[in-house]
Amino acid sequence: MARGIQVLALIVITGWLLLVPCVAVAQDMALKDVLIEGEDWQLVGEGFAFTEGPAVDSNGNLYFTDVFRAKIYRLDAQGKPEMFVDQSYGTNGMMFGPDGRLYGCQNAKKRIVAYDSAGKDTAIAEDVNSNDIVVVRSGALYFTDPEHHQVWYVSPKGEKRVVDTGLGYPNGIRLWPDQGTLVVADMKGPNLWAYRVEANGDLKFKQPYYTMRLAPDKTDSAADGLTIDSAGRVYVATRLGLQMFDPTGRLCGVIASPQKAWLSNVVFAGPKLDTLYVTCSNKVYKRKVKATVFRYFDPAGK
Amino acid sequence: MQATRLVFYVLGGALLNLGVPFTNLHGATDYRLGPDSERKEGVPVGTVTKSQWTSKVFGGTQRDYWVYVPKQYDPARPASVMVFQDGGNYVDLTKDFRVPIVFDNLIHKKEMPVTIGIFINPGVIPAAATDQTPRQNRSFEYDTPSPQYAEFLLKEILPEVGKSYKLTTKPEERAIGGISSGGICAWTVAWERPDAFQKVLSHVGSFTNIRGGHIYPALIRKTERKPIRVFLQDGSADLDNLHGNWPLANQEMAAALKFAGYDYRFEFGDGGHNGKHGGAILPDSLRWLWQDVVAARAGK
Repeated sequence: MARGIQVLALIVITGWLLLVPCVAVAQDMALKDVLIEGEDWQLVGEGFAFTEGPAVDSNGNLYFTDVFRAKIYRLDAQGKPEMFVDQSYGTNGMMFGPDGRLYGCQNAKKRIVAYDSAGKDTAIAEDVNSNDIVVVRSGALYFTDPEHHQVWYVSPKGEKRVVDTGLGYPNGIRLWPDQGTLVVADMKGPNLWAYRVEANGDLKFKQPYYTMRLAPDKTDSAADGLTIDSAGRVYVATRLGLQMFDPTGRLCGVIASPQKAWLSNVVFAGPKLDTLYVTCSNKVYKRKVKATVFRYFDPAGK
Repeated sequence: MQATRLVFYVLGGALLNLGVPFTNLHGATDYRLGPDSERKEGVPVGTVTKSQWTSKVFGGTQRDYWVYVPKQYDPARPASVMVFQDGGNYVDLTKDFRVPIVFDNLIHKKEMPVTIGIFINPGVIPAAATDQTPRQNRSFEYDTPSPQYAEFLLKEILPEVGKSYKLTTKPEERAIGGISSGGICAWTVAWERPDAFQKVLSHVGSFTNIRGGHIYPALIRKTERKPIRVFLQDGSADLDNLHGNWPLANQEMAAALKFAGYDYRFEFGDGGHNGKHGGAILPDSLRWLWQDVVAARAGK
């Protein structure tokens, strides 16, 4: 590079560094920044009773549950569902942990379990109601307990305690990419709640940070599962569709549900982690988008 | 690299980049600051003090705020109050508004009352660990149509500043202003608490659907008029994005205020989403906003 161009580049770059912090306007993120023109939902699998718990392993493979029939499936090399666990005891929300095991809310046995690669389960917490779960990089985990309006924490040593109470129906639960903020969906209310995650697992500074769009005749969002992409955008399954928020909590828009049925949960999966997978009642769908995720076990997810 | 050269590069870069984030190719008028935005010899200079606040109303948020006190302030007489959102921007003597200089000049000429300025930045919930991202609370605080920001001012900031200075409790002597989301926030504070704030100054206000604020024109038309005096500024090259169209939203606000019989003024120029036009007309805006208080005091 010529010396003059170098100097010019330096001038422009340093100028930007000086000015950018002065601009208080947050970046606008529209649906068109994520959706691809011409890409629609594609059917991945059907004939289930009630699909839930979409989870992605370290290779980008999708796992999901059929809660009512107590099965866990994964997609084979051809992208077709194959049985992974044929008696899941009603396992609902799921997420892979940094140890490669699949953690799940095994409700019929009132426990949180971890499945190994052969589908064998080990209890992580017992005598608990649960709906959805998020695993922390440290190996700790949080899960929602809608029946008792509370959120639980399980330390890496396996000690469990309640860390939040009071939401109408805490359901979906995920962490920001840097794991410093926890987001919990209230199915009975209009908000997703944000909490600061303390080093000991406690939750602080609870706030109705995200406000969802509601159906005209409803006061509840029916918010279920959620996921958060690498840019900090939140995607939450609701009665009106998949609602997307920017990292400052502003609604970006509502992505249409693939069918008129209960939209229960969402995850990014696929080899490039650039495909949204949703569980929607009896079917599972996917849609390629212009967004991706850090997984909590990725070094980049810091 | 030598320090002097670094300074040259940084300043040079800043000049080259000025205006780039808000590039506007619509032939906007070249808005310039007038004499009331410049320091003048013989005009007393007020003091500006910076502090930090940790809030309970916006639990866990921290923020900087600045308090401007004019030289003419007399502890025996309660001062009028004007609050600004994004306070760091409004209090800065090198940016678009230079409020302390404008206040010094207008207070000296008795074109606005002796007024204490409170310039408040939006809150941030700091991260618990250094490798984590803080939670930015600006949109939540400014864009939400709710009484929470008014509560924050009335329960926390005004009592805190009131420990050091005698502040008015008259709502007609309390004003609030802001730019963009800070503009709609100013309106929301007065709309929710007209018993506490009755003067609003909005620069390129975000009366759009960021968090539901687009409802105001409709609410204004179908709500008994509230005792709020409001100055709105916007420009035809303002934003048009997923949240809405700023020029249309501000025109809707002005039309609704007119319909409902409000004491309002709307300056619609051809600028973009920035403070250039608002800064250029700030002295006139303040003269208009405070005229009733000035007249009342002159009559006494």
